[in-house]
Amino acid sequence: MEKNRREESSGGARTEKRCLPLAQSVRHGSKAVTRHRKPMHILKQKLLAVTEYIPPKPSAAPGAYPSQTKRMEQESGLVRFLKKKVETTFEECKMLVVVQNNATNAEDMLLLRHRLHKHDIAIKFFPNQVMRSYLPSSQYRNMLPLFIGQTVMFVSKEPKVKEMLRVLRSSPQMILLGGCIENTMLSREGILNYSRLPSITTVQGELVGGLTLMTSQTVSMLQRHPAHLSALLQQYIKQNQPGGTPESTAPETTPKTEGAAV
Amino acid sequence: MESWCGVTLLLQQHLKILSAGLKTYELPQDYSGVVIPEKPKLKFLNKVPNFKKAKKEMKRLRDIQGPAKGATSFTYGQYAIVAMGGGYLEWGHLEMMRLTINRQLDPSTTFATWRVSAPYKPITRKGLGQRMGGGKGAIDFYVTPVKCGRLIVEVGGRIELGEVEGVLNQVARKLPFPAKVMSKESLAAMHQEQAEKEANNQNPWTFQRIARSNMLGLRRVISPFDLHNHGRFTGKFFNPSRV
Repeated sequence: MEKNRREESSGGARTEKRCLPLAQSVRHGSKAVTRHRKPMHILKQKLLAVTEYIPPKPSAAPGAYPSQTKRMEQESGLVRFLKKKVETTFEECKMLVVVQNNATNAEDMLLLRHRLHKHDIAIKFFPNQVMRSYLPSSQYRNMLPLFIGQTVMFVSKEPKVKEMLRVLRSSPQMILLGGCIENTMLSREGILNYSRLPSITTVQGELVGGLTLMTSQTVSMLQRHPAHLSALLQQYIKQNQPGGTPESTAPETTPKTEGAAV
Repeated sequence: MESWCGVTLLLQQHLKILSAGLKTYELPQDYSGVVIPEKPKLKFLNKVPNFKKAKKEMKRLRDIQGPAKGATSFTYGQYAIVAMGGGYLEWGHLEMMRLTINRQLDPSTTFATWRVSAPYKPITRKGLGQRMGGGKGAIDFYVTPVKCGRLIVEVGGRIELGEVEGVLNQVARKLPFPAKVMSKESLAAMHQEQAEKEANNQNPWTFQRIARSNMLGLRRVISPFDLHNHGRFTGKFFNPSRV
């Protein structure tokens, strides 16, 4: 409803070139302030639609980059204390294994701890926040992706992987994720392979056996029947001197060896 | 014996881990500058002002129109009801506010003050079934006109927002215009947000720019009031989303 209020004017402004009309119509619409929302002229509606607020678009999506302000948050005392504890644990222990625990009772956890305690393996609980703030600054930064979700650490001074795996077999809800054994990062498969490795004594024995293989073979050869040995030596000479006749030394050696055998 | 000791030690260690934690608490508010006046409750406001001779007044609806000029900022209190539109406050509204707020006030820790005056504007009404004409009607009641952005009631004391928010919201819902419960900080934040919006608006076309330079002859459909208020107010209504 257009509101055109023009007073009825008999005179009006009259100049030489233009003059207002003598009689003008008066139309009364509603007042400016109404209880209802007045219907707006279509042009005014269009104007309001065109001049709406457009917010600035962020250059990157909100979660794309980590916010810098968040990192500067001051760590509470407890976090700092736990960080020191983590540091000492990492320095002392040779074996660190990260295990995911899913819905373990307190009772089951206690039994697990008892079994591992017999092999001197300790279970450590550290909040993920503490690990995430400590690990990037240390040499173990590649362990960061392991600490997601509910995780628990098995630490021990001696790497006793076989016993640990045997104990873990009894609690199927504890899933082995990976770890760091004697300064080498190992995944789950790596830890299993490590457990299947033979012990040091067996490896040493194997090495010694391999080195003394040739000498032991010669000893066994000498202890066999001399006829066999003479035949072998004849064959060896034939190979070394191609196209040659068996030497006169061959029959001479036989009485000598016979003498030696006796 | 050793194994028994080991078991108890394990138990203790396990229990310790399950209970460890640290809660960081927010610092409590500092109420050093807060003074609770002698009469902390809302005072009674008269229905009718003390006139010897009551005069009839014109409607003058422009006292509802547009943004408020006075009583737009906090004086002594911390939390207030702020009008988000224009309207008339009658004695009934004021009584409702007074009774509800006074009931919930703890006079030792909280105080409340009016930021509107008692009704002074006379509203006339003609009798039922009267025909047009015959002069202006008689004065029926008095009202207080309120513009958008004005504070109605201010509450303060040694309290947090959460304590008074419930009562003030309850009251704000019953008012004849849209009203909001705000604290000093939130009011300042609202003003700042509006200023930021105006600064970082990506739309090159603003109402103010088009209206002031009369682009496309749009002054024909825009009133001078709209031009002055940049299209944020329409009559007694307020559009907070307009920039």
